[in-house]
Amino acid sequence: MSEKEILANEKAPCISCGGEIAVSARFCNHCGSRQSVVANSDTGNNWLLLKQAALFYGIDVAACCLASFAGVFKTLGWALFFDIAMAISAVLFFTWNWNENKQLLKWKSFSLLKLAGYAAIAICGSVIVHYSVGWLNLVIFNKDDQYFETLRGNLPAEMFLIFFTAVMPALFEELGYRGYLLQNLLKIADKDQAIYITSFLFAIIHMSFISLFWLIPFALFLGYTRVKENTIWYGIFFHFFFNLTACLFQLF
Amino acid sequence: MEEVIIPTSQLIEHCPVCNTAATENDVFCGTCGYPLKGTEQEQKDFMLKRDIAGIDMEHFSKQLKNAANSLYYLAGVFVVSGLIVYLIKKDDPDSFALLLENLILAFVFLALGGFARKKPLACIVSGLCLYVIVILLNAFVNPGTLFYGIIVKIAIIGYMIKGIKSAIEIEKIKKEHHIA
Repeated sequence: MSEKEILANEKAPCISCGGEIAVSARFCNHCGSRQSVVANSDTGNNWLLLKQAALFYGIDVAACCLASFAGVFKTLGWALFFDIAMAISAVLFFTWNWNENKQLLKWKSFSLLKLAGYAAIAICGSVIVHYSVGWLNLVIFNKDDQYFETLRGNLPAEMFLIFFTAVMPALFEELGYRGYLLQNLLKIADKDQAIYITSFLFAIIHMSFISLFWLIPFALFLGYTRVKENTIWYGIFFHFFFNLTACLFQLF
Repeated sequence: MEEVIIPTSQLIEHCPVCNTAATENDVFCGTCGYPLKGTEQEQKDFMLKRDIAGIDMEHFSKQLKNAANSLYYLAGVFVVSGLIVYLIKKDDPDSFALLLENLILAFVFLALGGFARKKPLACIVSGLCLYVIVILLNAFVNPGTLFYGIIVKIAIIGYMIKGIKSAIEIEKIKKEHHIA
């Protein structure tokens, strides 16, 4: 028997008259009252949720723009300041709806094998992106990123760099985007649209339009993983291994 | 929408509105809520409500279309402005990269416009955010650009915000009236 047939045969009481109706029925076939709770959510509330999401994203956009494009803020101190500000914003928005969002921090489906699988995909993906982006930048922009050259051989500086490029983004971007934003959008739109929106917003905030070609698939993968596993931990580790590989490429 | 009202005495096999299979015992359709055994008046009222929802849908669909058209318009703007700047500053070493960025943006807006019919909320929200970020980035490089064609910019953002609101309304109406 297919899943649909099982659903059609399974019975449940009507929420209004208590009569026996099919689980999949939208309306009671005895009294005609609506069964789904989803349809009761009003548009006003959805619009409010969307505005809240816009505030979260607006803060991130402002911080990213200031950190990367305003001359005054182009120092290491300010870079750290904006990173920490965005982390705090992600935590605040995530805890705003704590009772619901805390479910995402549970890791019921923990499996070491699965984790290793995600890590392997992340490392492979990062290697592919490293070589393709390196090639693209050389071909199109005629430049090679020498930003990390100065830090080579300086262990504390390297650890510091790994922390701020691999640990922080993995934790707080996942908390903010796959945690808060996706959970918020799932209430407004269907699963696919919510994942598309989060992925696109996540990709464009990196402010590099040429990188969209790998950022969007990367974010889509994280979004679907988060919905499938119902936890943000696999995403955090995936993101961590991806960034760590990229970071190690730069250092060595 | 045509009104299909069937006599109550007739054996009902399918709902006349949504075509879901119905048994003789059903008083209402389990999928759309149509009063299968209701009076003629009740059935008429049900159809009327559905028709009103349909009219609302038409209004919101129009706003969605406006939003999708502004995405296409933006794609055109980025192609044209990219080419003009490239032709003027051909000797600048960065000009090719700039042209490429404009073309990528145009392609993204074109794709968003194309999918706006299927996934309206996702496409319009993405398009609006991308557009606002592009405006901000240009403003950081050259604050004067903020005021270039400011009325058009406000109009486009307005169309997209209306589009987002309509997309939410449409989702709601679809869920309520089971209009696929």
